[in-house]
Amino acid sequence: MFRYIVKRVLSLIPVLFLVTVMLFVLLKFMPGDPVRMMLNPGLKAEQYEAAYKAMTIKLGLDKSYPEQYVKWIGNTLSGELGWSALFKRPVKDAIAEPLRNTIVLNIFVIILDLAITLPVGIKCAVKRHSTFDNFWQFFSLVTYSMPSFFVALSLIFVLAINLRLLPPGGMPIAAYGKDLAYYLSWLRYMTLPIITLTVISLAGTIRYVRNAMIDALSQDYIRTARSKGLAEKVVIYSHAFRNALIPISTIIIGTIFSLFYGSAITETVFAWNGIGHVLVKALNNRDFMLVVSMNLFFAVLTIIANFVADITYALVDPRVKLE
Amino acid sequence: MMNQKQEHDQVVVESALSKIGKSLSSLIKRLFGTGIKQGLSVLEEEALQTPGKTILKNFLRHRLGVVGLICFILILMFSFVGSHVKPMDLSHVETALRNIKPGTNYLKYPSRLVREGIKQISSGVSFSVGLSKAGKLYVWGTEPIYILQGVASSVIKVPETVQAANIVKVAAGDRHVLALDASGQMYAWGFNNFQQAEIPIPLRAKLASKQVADLIGGEAYSAVLFADGELYVWGSTMVNRLDIIPQEYQGHIVKVAASPHNMALLLDDGTIAVTGIENAFKNVPSHLQGGTVQIVDVTASYRAVLAKDDQGQLHIWGDVEHGLLTIPEFSGEIVAMDSGKNHMVLLLDSGQIICWGANHYGQLDQPRRLTNRQTAIHVDMFQSYAVGADGSLTAWGNKGFIFGSDEFGRDLFTRLIHGGRISLTVGAISVVISVVIALFFGMTSGFFGGWLDNLLMRFTDVVMAVPFLPIAITLSTVVAGRVPEMYRLYMIMVIMGLLMWPGLARLVRAQILLEREKDFVLAARALGVRYSNIIIRHILPNIFNLVIVNITLGYAASLLTEAGLSFLGFGVAPPTPSWGNILQNAQSSAVIEYYWWRWLIPGLLVVAAALSVNLVGDALREAMDPRANEK
Repeated sequence: MFRYIVKRVLSLIPVLFLVTVMLFVLLKFMPGDPVRMMLNPGLKAEQYEAAYKAMTIKLGLDKSYPEQYVKWIGNTLSGELGWSALFKRPVKDAIAEPLRNTIVLNIFVIILDLAITLPVGIKCAVKRHSTFDNFWQFFSLVTYSMPSFFVALSLIFVLAINLRLLPPGGMPIAAYGKDLAYYLSWLRYMTLPIITLTVISLAGTIRYVRNAMIDALSQDYIRTARSKGLAEKVVIYSHAFRNALIPISTIIIGTIFSLFYGSAITETVFAWNGIGHVLVKALNNRDFMLVVSMNLFFAVLTIIANFVADITYALVDPRVKLE
Repeated sequence: MMNQKQEHDQVVVESALSKIGKSLSSLIKRLFGTGIKQGLSVLEEEALQTPGKTILKNFLRHRLGVVGLICFILILMFSFVGSHVKPMDLSHVETALRNIKPGTNYLKYPSRLVREGIKQISSGVSFSVGLSKAGKLYVWGTEPIYILQGVASSVIKVPETVQAANIVKVAAGDRHVLALDASGQMYAWGFNNFQQAEIPIPLRAKLASKQVADLIGGEAYSAVLFADGELYVWGSTMVNRLDIIPQEYQGHIVKVAASPHNMALLLDDGTIAVTGIENAFKNVPSHLQGGTVQIVDVTASYRAVLAKDDQGQLHIWGDVEHGLLTIPEFSGEIVAMDSGKNHMVLLLDSGQIICWGANHYGQLDQPRRLTNRQTAIHVDMFQSYAVGADGSLTAWGNKGFIFGSDEFGRDLFTRLIHGGRISLTVGAISVVISVVIALFFGMTSGFFGGWLDNLLMRFTDVVMAVPFLPIAITLSTVVAGRVPEMYRLYMIMVIMGLLMWPGLARLVRAQILLEREKDFVLAARALGVRYSNIIIRHILPNIFNLVIVNITLGYAASLLTEAGLSFLGFGVAPPTPSWGNILQNAQSSAVIEYYWWRWLIPGLLVVAAALSVNLVGDALREAMDPRANEK
């Protein structure tokens, strides 16, 4: 097992290297001049030229691309992610609050998602082709075919504008300090984004759980268990479900890591100050240091998520041969 | 019970479908004369039916799949056939027609108006007001205002006081109406954002003491011309300063021709004076200025003035746009002249009608049956009405927008048709790009293995590691700055294609790994078949099903992705329409609340397209599943 993990970690290195090179190239191809963005445009011509040269050297842009790359990686590894031109502070600090907002939002989404998909997926697999199954199959196909902004706009139209139950978007404000009402207002502001994100993610997960469960139920040991005369509940939950959990665990891990992903579209529609919304804002304001740092963050997150999923798979499934 | 009923239903549908299938196949058999006459037993079917036929049969058995296929074909026809039938001018905007809700009744005048006899008709952007000879007022068309609280009252609903009054004069502004009754009482209703639908206090005093000669409804302003030649203007006059009428003209004005920014005033000495902002409107030809030519009638479109002198000669000046300055050839005396926003109409003594100018809304398409003698014309905005000698009324021009109009007054229906063409094409091409890459990567690395496999798969991992939407919008921003506007469309196809392939590549690789161990590959190798031939002719057909299902489902996904990217403003760039960027400006809560058609209809179209493709993909997957054929 240990050797397998080491081997997987080693295989991550070229991937990480290529991803960072790709992002570095992207950073260099960004439109606009990073030096000029840092300078005061009110300077006189000679002063400006001198300041420009000084800033070029300060930012290390006079060096060759490989040197710049090495410096960038070094800085990134030591936690220096650069300067956000949009927020006028280090990228690290600029991302912190949106990241927190995204995580808070996603905690609810994940809990709701798993609480719905696991039972529904299992029941669909057990009662295959029943009305219940057909309904959820169709429902998941419909939500799967919906762009998230359409779900969001419809929810705003019905619940926020016509019924006036919830705010159409925005962030809670601590007007009277952080009292109970403030925390409750978080819930009010989060409800619509949570519903949107859950509806969008439901479809895929339900189908996945259902298929995993159907696979498990069609195995020979299920027939054996039934022919032994075991209660159907026991067959389903302790024989089939436990085995279906192996493929399901992958998706659960993916879901847990999705905690940190901001949804660019949903957060933008609801003006939720999350990481996805910040990405869109950064792109619209040409704050490319922030953009590249966030892409790097997302990429590393995906790599780690895939890695953890692989390891978990190997851990929970005794049939996986570790080479 | 339930099961029995379901089974029964299923049998009925299946038998109906199989009947259709049978009659089709018997038709083909009769046509080509080579068919097996008897029905097939299970074993024979196994031996004789090609896999393609089995898949088709399985697919047709899947009701939802067939529904999805039909829907998708309809959407394809809507976009591709529609864009040929309904061409679109990308540069055309008409802000006067902005944000009007769905409705195609702009020209549907009430028959009671015709029965009572038409005295006058005046039109706003999406409605017309008719005054009958009995002094009754009728309004028809679509409500052009949505934010009614406080700033406006409905235009279409005639106020009760007006219904009761004996109206003698009426004028429609762009979104408001003015009316005058026999006792000199004036009424105004409709959009009131500049108080154009209120009677100002100074005017009330004048109304009480003087006779009104004419009412004028402009774009967000109103005007009254008194019989003594005095003009009074109110409403939106901050920019155009139409409310300032030079003292030398006051008291000499005979007729007023209004455009949004200017007024052409016909004075009692037969000359024309122009007020308002500086533009080509003000370039009154010099030979008209001295008073040697006596002007008797004047009318104005948005940016051109048409004047008739006492010899019956026409004079026109203003902007050249829409070809308004070239009057078509005609013979005969002019009886009446009138103009809409971008077109002009003449009525000749022969009863014939001549139109010229812009034709974006069919303003020039006077009906062919308009051969009988016409005695009066009423033209305003984009609508034209002609009254026949027999009292009949003919209307042509803007019929309305079946799906409403957007913030630039463009027809949403046309934009959805053309946007569909773009969205469906972008989705298809990006899927093709991604499938080609995926097949190349998956097949080479699956078949050759070794270091090549390792290299290609690491690269696949890299592309898989970058999260799709963030990197897609980042790439789009980076590339957009370096690519001319017209190539942005191709850029978005390529970006999507370049990012979507890893999943399929892995699937193909896994499938190839399975297939290449099979005996038929060994046999092919033993026969000395070339590698490329083994891959393309022996292995590829075996993974064909997988690829087809993936193309279908990937197509639905890329339709949604394009919509999402364009919605955020990182996809297809306006003014080129796509389903996503039509929604781009629909993010404000005002649009969500009041202009619902601008997000609901495009949104539903995206859902319909993606859902129908997904239904087909789902049905295909089940049809191609070998387990589905087990008996």
